[in-house]
Amino acid sequence: MVVKVSNLVKRYGDLIALDHLSFSIKEGEIFGLLGPNGSGKTTAINCILALLKYDKGEIEVFGEPMTPESYHIKQDIGIVMQNVAVYNELTVYENIDYFCGLYIKDKALKKKYVEEAIEFVDLGEYRNFRPKKLSGGLLRRLNIACGIAHKPKLIILDEPTVAVDPQSRNRILEGIKELNSNGATVIYTSHYMEEVEQICSRIMIIDKGKAIATGTKEELKAMISLGEKITVESYDVSEQQLARLRELPNIVSVEYNEPLIVIKSSKGKNNLENVLEFIKKENIQFGKIYSELPTLNDVFLEITGKELRD
Amino acid sequence: MQVYKLCLKIIKKNIPVMLIYIFIYLSVSIVVTLSSSRQNNTGNDFTDTKANIAFISGEETPLIEGLRKELGRQANFINLPDKKEAQQDALFFREVVYILRIPEGFTQKFMAGEEVHLEKNSVPDSAKAAYIDLAVDQYLNTARFFLSTMGDVTQESLVKYLDDVLSQEADVKLMPAPAKTDVYGLVFSYNYMAYSLSSILVLGMAAIMAAFNNRDLRNRVSCSPVRETAANLQIFLASLTFAGVAWLTQIAFCFFFDIENVLTMNTVYLLLNSLVFTVCGTAMGFLIGSVVKGNEAISAVTNVVVLGSCFICGVFVPAQLLGETTLRIASFTPTYWFVKANNQAAQLTQFDLSSVRLVLSDTAVIVCFALAFFALSLVIRKVRRFS
Amino acid sequence: MFVHIFANRLRCLLRDRETMFWTFMFPLALALFFYMSLSNVGKGEAFQEIDVAVVNDSWYQENQFFRTALEEASRGDDRLFNLTLATGEEARKLLDDGKIKGYIIAGDPPQLIVNESGIYQSIIKSFLDNYTQTFRAVEKVLENDPRIYQEVFDSLGNRKNYVKEAPAAGGKPDNLVYYFYTLIAMACMYGSFFGMREATDIQADITPLAARINIAPVHKLKAFLSSTCAALLIHLSEMMILLAFIRYVLNIDFGPRAGYVLLTTVIGSITGVFFGAFVSAVVKKSEGIKVGILIGVTMIGSCLAGMMYIDMKYIILSKNLPFLYWTNPVNLLSDAFYCLYYFDNLNRYALNIGALSCITVLFCALTYLFIRRRKYASL
Repeated sequence: MVVKVSNLVKRYGDLIALDHLSFSIKEGEIFGLLGPNGSGKTTAINCILALLKYDKGEIEVFGEPMTPESYHIKQDIGIVMQNVAVYNELTVYENIDYFCGLYIKDKALKKKYVEEAIEFVDLGEYRNFRPKKLSGGLLRRLNIACGIAHKPKLIILDEPTVAVDPQSRNRILEGIKELNSNGATVIYTSHYMEEVEQICSRIMIIDKGKAIATGTKEELKAMISLGEKITVESYDVSEQQLARLRELPNIVSVEYNEPLIVIKSSKGKNNLENVLEFIKKENIQFGKIYSELPTLNDVFLEITGKELRD
Repeated sequence: MQVYKLCLKIIKKNIPVMLIYIFIYLSVSIVVTLSSSRQNNTGNDFTDTKANIAFISGEETPLIEGLRKELGRQANFINLPDKKEAQQDALFFREVVYILRIPEGFTQKFMAGEEVHLEKNSVPDSAKAAYIDLAVDQYLNTARFFLSTMGDVTQESLVKYLDDVLSQEADVKLMPAPAKTDVYGLVFSYNYMAYSLSSILVLGMAAIMAAFNNRDLRNRVSCSPVRETAANLQIFLASLTFAGVAWLTQIAFCFFFDIENVLTMNTVYLLLNSLVFTVCGTAMGFLIGSVVKGNEAISAVTNVVVLGSCFICGVFVPAQLLGETTLRIASFTPTYWFVKANNQAAQLTQFDLSSVRLVLSDTAVIVCFALAFFALSLVIRKVRRFS
Repeated sequence: MFVHIFANRLRCLLRDRETMFWTFMFPLALALFFYMSLSNVGKGEAFQEIDVAVVNDSWYQENQFFRTALEEASRGDDRLFNLTLATGEEARKLLDDGKIKGYIIAGDPPQLIVNESGIYQSIIKSFLDNYTQTFRAVEKVLENDPRIYQEVFDSLGNRKNYVKEAPAAGGKPDNLVYYFYTLIAMACMYGSFFGMREATDIQADITPLAARINIAPVHKLKAFLSSTCAALLIHLSEMMILLAFIRYVLNIDFGPRAGYVLLTTVIGSITGVFFGAFVSAVVKKSEGIKVGILIGVTMIGSCLAGMMYIDMKYIILSKNLPFLYWTNPVNLLSDAFYCLYYFDNLNRYALNIGALSCITVLFCALTYLFIRRRKYASL
């Protein structure tokens, strides 16, 4: 186990930020922590990093309890924090060099690593820029480079894509996959389900400090009753037809908001086929028809009764 | 009038910082007003200047007592603690300008005609030290004169002779002074405006300018259906409002500190002068706001420019105490002319054209500075816009 | 690791233009302003030969003693007067035009005409008094025994200076230097801007950057000390330049003990830096408020140390207000420089430095207590 958290409790006064949170992360995973804003993702990360005091529970990193003095553990951790933490007076190159130098003593190696990090986030042409001159996306990339330059075994990224343009975002996500394929274990927190779904091999969904579900995305989706969502565009459908539709096998719910009929069905085969047959039989005129598999948002919605995004 | 309102809001946000300058102005003015009224001893009779001295004697004899009594005309005696260091402190910080020490056995040796002397610690080469030296030497030389010419005299009769002779005084007539030369205390509250008012003006103007120099904001405003000339006019009006309010506040304080002269013609010229200076300060703020970017930089430039000009132009230290080179450098700043015009306006006793012209010519120089600042900032803004 | 953090910190701080301005350019500019406005003030105290006119009437021409005495006093390098002979009207005009301090009409007693009371007018009067008094003394002696005429004149010509300046036990009482000492003391305390940055950048609950450093495999205090050393080096270099500027460009006297002056500056710089660290560690408020506290404390301290008004310092010193004296680092520093300049012994200097060291150690200890925390209750 790279990280093992058991029964972690953290209170801020009356507010329970983490409520008996337990999870473990295996080597080589990209572990996603998914939850809305204020769900406790960053608090959990800060506890793992021994920055925050917590009220109860144990945290082990690389099989050892994590303390502020565990320098040999810290040595192998790379951290990209939610807030950009770079020196405004130092250039891009100097910033990466500085943070890398906190981990790597050998000068030649450090130089090599810094160059690789700059290459990795593609900031080559900005190497002599000060952070103030960088756009939001570039700044985030610099923040990442500062976190990963020393080639850590465990990389923690806390919402690294907040307020980043789509182009930079994709670069960042690709980069994280690349790091992982080079052998690093990754912890990735986000409130963007698409991102988490796109890159994480295992996901934990948390809400109000509690883990509500953990597993691969397939596992998560298998946990809920929803199997498939079929949407039909039609201007010509009667209440009777909708009622008959509801009686088809596996159908959980049917809603009609002109012109869209949203049909949710539980797991099972031939759901789409059944619906198509029904439409043909009833001679319903339709424009588009498409079927979706459930998303993590659906998972979140079904478990908590609310949308992932506020 | 949205732009106008915005400007006033920016100014309001800066009021706490401006209050610091008002506070400094008030506290310094109070101190100066109090201390200058204390020194006011211009009567109709001539009075001997008295220097503060410490008189430390190792013995008490009639001769020394006579000296002490005699020195009382030229000196105030200050009691100092019997510690060398405390006495030296007192000299350094001018509680006394002269410490006279009479060694033990002085009288005996002196009466016997031996070579003796007194010790002093004084502010070297100072006029007051020379003044006291003169008095001590006169007493002892006269005593020695009696001793060497009258043969056997007792100390007691010697002191009586001295007392008799040294009571002689020259006749001094005090003529009415044609003009007050030291107007420092008189116009201080007006001169000091150069510090507080110009700090406030530069700060406020620079804050407005900095806000509108922000490219995003400027672009946003030019996208709105407010015409640029209209926006500029509103900024101008807001500056005018701000400068006007600042001036009125400042003038109210000046009146408070110079209450007895408010209704004189001199005050009219002081007011005119300060109004022109306010315009100049506003123009300077406009210039600094156009040249300097960023709030930190503005406060740095404001401090150096305003503080510097006040130091070298005779605001903090009376102009007549400044060196010639300093004043020559100072004449390149409007503050110099403002102080000069104030000092002259306060001295005016006649208000015919030729007397008033001196004041007005200095005021005109300030107008020129204002125009120059304004023109320069317009040029800079024009150049910046196209780059 | 020390070198790595130290070198990067050096680079950071040197590029922090705002801090560099307030800690370096501002004191230099202030020193120059002090110099430009104060350098002549001392001359106001110094004695200058007094411009005097005497009315050249028959009385003056005929009275040889009086004429000789006046001419005698207007001759040589240490003369009292610059004498002009004039008619009554001319003399009056000179006085009105401010060309002379007063004019003399010979007579018994002689008459002095002036238009204000002042030290120079009083000196002229003293001179005339002395003439009259001496004249009266001679009369008195000759009344007693007219035969000793010759002796009287021998004795008269034998005037002595009875007062000798005591051997200087230190510097001259030139109080302008003190303004520059308070300025250096103030600049030392401005080192607090550096200290504030150091303490801010190491406390994870204040900045994300500090949190980031806390996660690195570096001992927190080691990181703090390395970067504080960089801050100290920069501030000390600034102080040395300021000191050199004041000493060699502005020619302000620091007394003969250069080594101690340097030592004082070093201690002052350390005090300043740790004062800032202390405020930053203890005050859990926004940066604006912290800067406000630093500037406020330094300015009030400077004011109480006499930077704006030198009498303030003397009142606290002589009226025995020990609390205001011993707790004000600006005062202790200025006083230390003053002692080095003015006294021949080091007793009071040692007391000042001792008190200053105590304050510094206190700042260090409290800073340590606050920043040694590794884990925070909230971030």
